[in-house]
Amino acid sequence: MAKSVIIKIKRQANPRETSRWEEFELPYKPAMNVISCLMDIAANPVTRDGKATTPITYDSNCLEEVCGSCAMLINGRARMACSALVDKLEQPIRLEPFSKFPVVRDLAVDRQVLFENLKAVKAWVPIDGTYDLGAGPRMTAEQQEAAYPLSRCISCCCCMEVCPQFNDDTGFVGAATIAQVRLFNTHPTGAALERERLTALMGDGGIQECGYAQNCVEACPKDIPLTRSISEVGGAVMKQAIGDLFRK
Amino acid sequence: MATTLKITVIGGGLAGLAAVIKIAEMGGQVDLFSIVPVKRSHSVCAQGGINAAKNLKGEGDSTWKHFDDTIYGGDFLANQPPVKAMCEAAPGIIDLLDRMGVPFNRTPEGLLDFRRFGGTLYNRTAFAGATTGQQLLYALDEQVRRYESEGKVKKYEHWEFLSAVLDGNRISRGICAMDLRSMEVRTFPSDAIIIATGGNGAIFGKSTNSVVCTGSAQSALYQQGCFYANGEFIQVHPTCIPGEDKLRLMSESARGEGGRVWVPKTPGDKRDPKSIPQAERWYFLEEWYPKYGNLVPRDVATRAIFKVVFEHNLGIDGKPMVYLDLTHIDRKILDRKLEGILEIYEKFVGDDPRDTPMKIFPGMHYTMGGLWVDFKQATNIPGIYAAGECEYQYHGANRLGANSLVSCIYGGFIAGPSAVQYARNQKAAAGNGHFDTERKQQEENNAMLMKSEGKENPFCLWRELGELMTKDCTVIRYNKNLKETDAKLCEYLERFRRINLSDRTQWANTSVVFSRQLYNMLQLSRVIAQGAAMRDESRGAHYKPDFPERDDKNWLKTTKAYFAPDADEPKFEFEPVDISLIPPRARKY
Amino acid sequence: MASTARPASPLEVRGGVAPLRAGQGYSFFLRRLHSLSGIVPVGAFLIEHFVSNAFATRGPAAYAKQVELLSSFPFVVGLELFGIWLPILYHALYGFYIWYRGDSNVADYPWAGNWMYNAQRWTGAIAFFYMIWHTWHLRFTGIHLLSHPDAAFGKVQAEFQSPWAVAFYAVGIVCASWHFAYGIWLFAAKWGITTGDKARRRFGYVCLAIGLLFVGVGAATMYSFLSTPVEPGSAMQMTMSNH
Repeated sequence: MAKSVIIKIKRQANPRETSRWEEFELPYKPAMNVISCLMDIAANPVTRDGKATTPITYDSNCLEEVCGSCAMLINGRARMACSALVDKLEQPIRLEPFSKFPVVRDLAVDRQVLFENLKAVKAWVPIDGTYDLGAGPRMTAEQQEAAYPLSRCISCCCCMEVCPQFNDDTGFVGAATIAQVRLFNTHPTGAALERERLTALMGDGGIQECGYAQNCVEACPKDIPLTRSISEVGGAVMKQAIGDLFRK
Repeated sequence: MATTLKITVIGGGLAGLAAVIKIAEMGGQVDLFSIVPVKRSHSVCAQGGINAAKNLKGEGDSTWKHFDDTIYGGDFLANQPPVKAMCEAAPGIIDLLDRMGVPFNRTPEGLLDFRRFGGTLYNRTAFAGATTGQQLLYALDEQVRRYESEGKVKKYEHWEFLSAVLDGNRISRGICAMDLRSMEVRTFPSDAIIIATGGNGAIFGKSTNSVVCTGSAQSALYQQGCFYANGEFIQVHPTCIPGEDKLRLMSESARGEGGRVWVPKTPGDKRDPKSIPQAERWYFLEEWYPKYGNLVPRDVATRAIFKVVFEHNLGIDGKPMVYLDLTHIDRKILDRKLEGILEIYEKFVGDDPRDTPMKIFPGMHYTMGGLWVDFKQATNIPGIYAAGECEYQYHGANRLGANSLVSCIYGGFIAGPSAVQYARNQKAAAGNGHFDTERKQQEENNAMLMKSEGKENPFCLWRELGELMTKDCTVIRYNKNLKETDAKLCEYLERFRRINLSDRTQWANTSVVFSRQLYNMLQLSRVIAQGAAMRDESRGAHYKPDFPERDDKNWLKTTKAYFAPDADEPKFEFEPVDISLIPPRARKY
Repeated sequence: MASTARPASPLEVRGGVAPLRAGQGYSFFLRRLHSLSGIVPVGAFLIEHFVSNAFATRGPAAYAKQVELLSSFPFVVGLELFGIWLPILYHALYGFYIWYRGDSNVADYPWAGNWMYNAQRWTGAIAFFYMIWHTWHLRFTGIHLLSHPDAAFGKVQAEFQSPWAVAFYAVGIVCASWHFAYGIWLFAAKWGITTGDKARRRFGYVCLAIGLLFVGVGAATMYSFLSTPVEPGSAMQMTMSNH
């Protein structure tokens, strides 16, 4: 008998509908990943028991784990679908949308909150303008090596999904944004906004909500030093808070 | 000014964001449309770096040499003045990116580090680890987010561009777009629009491009009257990792470190590659090119692999793949020199290339052609500008490595101010009935798709399209096959009318969206196939065994395709190339 | 404005976690106060309490002397109230609030740090309920120890007559030690004292040693109470003679 792949997908037609599970059986091919399975379903949208259904709605783009689109729960774990190889997954493969973000449809969720958080902490270098002002500030290779891993954050939101503190009650900002604060505060020009960023992180939902469960750093597909960033920024926030207590 | 200028930018990759920043800086108001959140645009995929002749290595590099390399690499098909301007602007662009906080690699002195790339003798490529495109995109994204928080930019993410809104004088007055969640079709008036929607890899089914790179927006504009130039020029990268979902780049350095390319001599050999004895392996590159062996240039390697797979039918397991073998090299050496790229293979294939030969195949990588623009990035429709991979201007017949990022940003930096300039001098349209007309037209198109009761699954039809285009319209081109391809494309367009959407809901319906893109892909495919059929020469990425030489006398010309609505097919005209600065010479590396 | 506004689609993506309320609210102060209160004064008190009780290992007389010393402090009730009871109450109640707001997911993500996150909540809760019971019995009921320091040793011995009480003491001491030791580690990590991965790992061993030391001291102290014969005229005897 030809090998096959069994996939169970938690589906939801729209934000108002309740979710339901659908099961698919696909002919096995070598080098399949979760995305290629979803593509195969789109080409033949029929469930395992022969019922016609709709193609799965999901986010995806680069399929190389740099755009951050295709994050979902695969066998209960938050990860990127493009790098989830069928050969390495236990079957039936269970696909679910992220649980802490509003579902758009099927596996697609709305992760706008991260981009709002990046706005709230002013995650940018405040340059004067794009006209020619010569070279940027000198940086040692060491500084570059410290900044680069943080700058590889793909905004997939895995760190937020797995965080026990990221939920409606806390409105926690999440590890990704805190790491970006560290990135921009350590940049020679970016440091101009350090004070504002740290003050922002002292607001409700700020860095204090971190429970240091360290799931973020375990789940991060890009191995970003998230716990280290939380500690560094945590220290900077405290220094500013205590300093203000005496100087302001 | 009485009212603020409103410019619409479509596409949030490097080119689009570069344009947005310039417009916002000039005081304009921007509506930014993107299918995906702009931070997830395809620009993130660029790995290698960005070229600029900063001459920080004491090699005597200059912007003129960068310009010469680019023109020469592009086989003299690019108009020279804008390329020269781009190369001159490149060092300033690097400085700007540096100021924006891109973590470029540094020298011990703390200056920008540069490395050497293909097609040049100079260390001209600035890079940020192995993810330069991602770093550049993020830097621009952050600046745009800053303008967004100041209210100068409004983002429409998860929206797809459907068409331009043209008034009675065929002047652009805005766009018609669709919310990919609510499926609502809406028009947005603006003083000028900038298209920055990237390449069209999806036409070739699987490519190194991202999912959104369908070329749909360019095709829609072509069907509305924009010229599409040099469509036949498609860059193929020789070593990609074939996946079931896409092709991923495998760096040339694998061959540089001694990787050997081979196939089993017996067609359909199903044995484990390691158990196949040396005598039954065909190291075809080493046999055909004894001097360079596995390190022949990209296009030569690509053509050889194609020949072995499609003419000798010797692809691994009957599939379009050959082995790239590193297993004879010591693990320690591999780990030291190639660890990063071997990890990519391991992550996405699941095999350890230190133990098992890698399976690779050339893959469609870059779209040199695109919307025709003038030196100010203006298309032939007033009010429509284009920048980045979706236009044709900077790479001629072949793009040099690490030139794409600079051309995107430069194009955006020209397009933004050009659009603002245009908008300032533009008079208001008489009436605005054209908005309703366009919206109704697009809604009708959607309704027709929803109603269609055929048997064709759009995703299956797309797979057929990809296989067809990859086989006959990429590496090796024969006129007979190209003619057949175009006939097939007509047949596909016919089949498209019998499409059957398995999803007819009005919320986040990917089938409707994809079908619309597919239609546009089919139309654009004909431009590529017919353009390739016409060009009886070999130039850059365009190779015809029946016409193996470059023919400057007849073909030193830009192909300009335009859509003939009555005939529902492309028509062509040709424009001489501006070679005012560097006289053409033979391209021999 | 869009030229052709149509009625908005009735379907909308709604809800989700709120973005950061930059610079607003007091939760930062309250949460950091909670964190700090765990070290000072609650942690400091815990150290004092373990040390003082360890005098039991030198016999009832030394123990009585130590209790006498403590009860001889000026404003002792005020010290207790503001230095011990209120901080502990704040630390505990705010701690429950933190627990209530977190969503444990250790079943889905059974990683070491996640286990510790959960353990910190459980040990805190157990230690808190233990403390209520412990102080109720020893401080607020029975012989008043501030005025009868020499009855202290016997009062504990009386308590230890029940094996359940002994077990609860053991559990309470382990939980308090655990909660305090990991609390120090968390404090150092969150307040930016141990920022590097290696530093955090190293400090983890230090905190493990602190935790084990506390458990050890607690065990030795308990053993003293259990192994010392009941003295005539002690609180123990008084309690027994009441029956």
